[in-house]
Amino acid sequence: MATQKRYGMLYDSNKCIGCQACSTACRAENKVPDKVSRLQVWIEGPKGKYPDLITDFHRKSCVMCDSAPCVPVCPTGASYTTSDGVTLVNEKFCVGCKYCIAACPYQARFLNPETGAADKCTFCHETRVSRGQKPACVSICPTGALIFGDMNDSKSDISLALKSQRAVKPKEHLGLKPKVVTVPNWRGGDA
Amino acid sequence: MITRRSFLKLSGAVAASLSVASMFPDIATWAAGGKVEGKADFVRSFCEMCTSRCPIQAKVVDGKAVLVSGNPDWGATGGTLCARGVSGQSQLYDPQRIQKPLIRVGERGEGKWKEVSYEEAYDYIAKQMQGIKEKYGPEAMAFGCRKGPHMSYLYTFAKAYGSPNTHNHESTCPLARTVGLEVTFGTAGLGLDYGNCKYIVSLGRNYFEGINVAQVRGVMNCINKGGKLVSIDPRYSLTSAKAHEWLPIKPGTDLALVLALNHVFIRDGLYDKDFITKYTEGFEAVKASVTSYTPAWAEKETGIKAADIERIAKEMAAVKPKAILDWGWRTTFTPEEFELRRAIIIGNMLLGNLEVPGGSFFSKGPGFINGLVGKPVVQGIAGFKTPPFPKPAKPRVDGAGVKGHPMELAPAGDGIAQAVPESILTEKPYPIKGYFAYRYNPVVTMPQTNRVIEAMKKLDLLVVCDIYMSDTAMFADVVLPESTYLERDEGFNDYSGGVPAFTLRQQVVKPVYNTRAHWQIFKELSEKMGLGAYFPYTNIDDIRLTQMGGKQDLVKMGKEKGFVNFGMKPLFLRDKNSVAEFVKQFPDAQSLVNEQGYIDKYLTNLKTPSKKIELMSQVAQNVFGRGVPVYRPIQIAESGQQLFIQGKTGLHTNGHTHNVPWLHELMPENRLWMHPETASKLGVKTDDLVEMASTVGKQQVKAYITEGVRPDTVFCYMGFGRVSPGLKRAYKKGVNSNLMIPTSTVPVCGITLQTAGVTLKKV
Repeated sequence: MATQKRYGMLYDSNKCIGCQACSTACRAENKVPDKVSRLQVWIEGPKGKYPDLITDFHRKSCVMCDSAPCVPVCPTGASYTTSDGVTLVNEKFCVGCKYCIAACPYQARFLNPETGAADKCTFCHETRVSRGQKPACVSICPTGALIFGDMNDSKSDISLALKSQRAVKPKEHLGLKPKVVTVPNWRGGDA
Repeated sequence: MITRRSFLKLSGAVAASLSVASMFPDIATWAAGGKVEGKADFVRSFCEMCTSRCPIQAKVVDGKAVLVSGNPDWGATGGTLCARGVSGQSQLYDPQRIQKPLIRVGERGEGKWKEVSYEEAYDYIAKQMQGIKEKYGPEAMAFGCRKGPHMSYLYTFAKAYGSPNTHNHESTCPLARTVGLEVTFGTAGLGLDYGNCKYIVSLGRNYFEGINVAQVRGVMNCINKGGKLVSIDPRYSLTSAKAHEWLPIKPGTDLALVLALNHVFIRDGLYDKDFITKYTEGFEAVKASVTSYTPAWAEKETGIKAADIERIAKEMAAVKPKAILDWGWRTTFTPEEFELRRAIIIGNMLLGNLEVPGGSFFSKGPGFINGLVGKPVVQGIAGFKTPPFPKPAKPRVDGAGVKGHPMELAPAGDGIAQAVPESILTEKPYPIKGYFAYRYNPVVTMPQTNRVIEAMKKLDLLVVCDIYMSDTAMFADVVLPESTYLERDEGFNDYSGGVPAFTLRQQVVKPVYNTRAHWQIFKELSEKMGLGAYFPYTNIDDIRLTQMGGKQDLVKMGKEKGFVNFGMKPLFLRDKNSVAEFVKQFPDAQSLVNEQGYIDKYLTNLKTPSKKIELMSQVAQNVFGRGVPVYRPIQIAESGQQLFIQGKTGLHTNGHTHNVPWLHELMPENRLWMHPETASKLGVKTDDLVEMASTVGKQQVKAYITEGVRPDTVFCYMGFGRVSPGLKRAYKKGVNSNLMIPTSTVPVCGITLQTAGVTLKKV
């Protein structure tokens, strides 16, 4: 019997050029209204003293915690985790109370101004991943900065990448076990 | 919650800090009206959000385009795309597009229009153009557009009318490189193989913001495989951020750096002697010319340490021929631009990187392959048989390609854009009275904005065909709305590079407004003027089938895959593995292969006077007395001035995309980058207003204080500060870089300068 899938993503900030193809594709694929975003890439810099400068790149989206704090606080059960490890919101059940938004330490959630429901990255679960495709951001990225797949499959791209990369979990000290991890910028001096 | 505001706060490099303006409708929702869960169709096509023309596929649900992404079958991009390409859908459904043909009713530039039918618009244009022909002669009409597959329709129309004055935008972009390559190789059709390279030196070439997706992937591949990227740029671009080294060169001194690299290659015997002996002419002249250009000398000119120059030269030579000195793009800092491009090309040849993986290569289009094999083995794009064009009575106003004219070497097929406003205003060498601007916006993309506006206002007739009410369209007499690339079928586009290939543009959705495709507009307008014989096709199928030489299977392949190719692997003439592959596919080519396994006869049978690669160019020597590049120091900024430079962002294209909803939202305006030292002298902080003045213009700009630019230099992204109120989002947002730049034409190559000295003061 096949083991349960457990989807994860690796964001290599060294390969990210901040082009925003991912955030734009997310907007198109998921019909995200203007002025709110499920996904952004922040460009931080240039930092340092001329001419020794660096620029950092950060993916800002839901990190799909294994112990997602947004789920237990939801009074209606609208916020839930799928069997393959993806945290989702059922907008039919969402009453817009914002508990989940307050509970998320990654500031990944927002109220969708059109549906009134909490909204965030879904890994394109319904529209793509459940059909065997990669999330829109992963498939569009020109530099291959994003690697997505089943972390329970030891041969998947994501499992292989995690073995060979020095990935860090954002805010690891919180113990929420996020499944979106980052390879930090080696120009920051640690390589 | 990730707010836009917090995003902007951190994104100094990309975004500007502007509070959110809710002046535009919710395009995302409007565009994606259909349910993605429904049946989706995918249409293969190619992009037009910039000139890279990446192969794409568009997802269509319930008759609406819902996601534009890369064509997954196109190897060089592998289904990926940039933000501009993905945003094509927000442009498509934008209510701010021009929706119907318009004829001006108020004063020129006043913004009063009458909506008309195409018939009425054509009648008006035909009558006015006929009037200009009768009164001044056909050469008094000039025609300009972006370069691309659409260009031939405008040029055919112009030539049929009888005017020699056609131009594209190349002289405000890469024309120096084009002329440099043609002088050296007899053709400008060369590419660089970034993906297999081991060392790339970029001289202001900004791969990760002037995005061409295939090249972005190539450069990133080079880095991922352990190759090195060195960014030489007065500003810390996103390319500099990804490079192993950033060397903030003093603007306008790149030539000194390149000459010093060439000096070290030759001084230390690091150059490829066999290559130079076998394939080139004029090495001794180059050698003599670089003797005094030592790294120590270059350090004084460029501000880059001699030791770094020595080291880079040696590092490049150590991995030659897989080393590239990028011959670059739009970075014209001085009138010595032709010299700079030539010196870069010579540097590459000293490294012997021609026709090897990881180096430079001739584009292998059908013509090249068929010429090599000696018979037609690959289908080329065929044209229609048309009557001969009338012979123009007068030579071109810009002198491009005109024998004996100082601009003789500038290709007539590109022309010199900035010469047109000059002829309108000065009436020299003869007056231009009418101008047809097709998807071309000189008011923002040509230097000296105010002078271009003055010229547009002086015209008897200005016709603009575009998708938005551009800054040039606002001064027009007639505006013809074209369908966007997602709404129109088109013919095949030659997309050959390493291998012969054509891409095909296909209609994704029916036109949203009353717009038409260019091939239809030019045919209909020509018929109105009695010039229909020059457009002898009936419909798009006719065009496509003719182009493919009547081969239905190729048309079918184009429609299904979005491109036509011939199953070839990239051919490098000096790489025995790829030559062997080539000969396996085309056995007739066997006789060309030498004992080393190369096909290098081509390299000594070029279309140059000596038939070899001309390191020393007798043609250049004859035209302006410098057959090999020499250095002359140029001062652009005067004492007390800052040097103003400009560049591209990955979120916008020239003067084209700033009003596109999603792209505008990501980057609504630009700011003037200045170093903290400069800022403290002026007493300004980020977002303070500064008055920037040059000899030709003055404007107030928002400051962005950053360590990412030299203390003597200020920078902004180009294409902002729009003057057309019809661009409701982009109107008056940010700095118009071209307002600061005086009109100029650089010797030999005809390119315009893109830099100026400016004075700054706090407002």
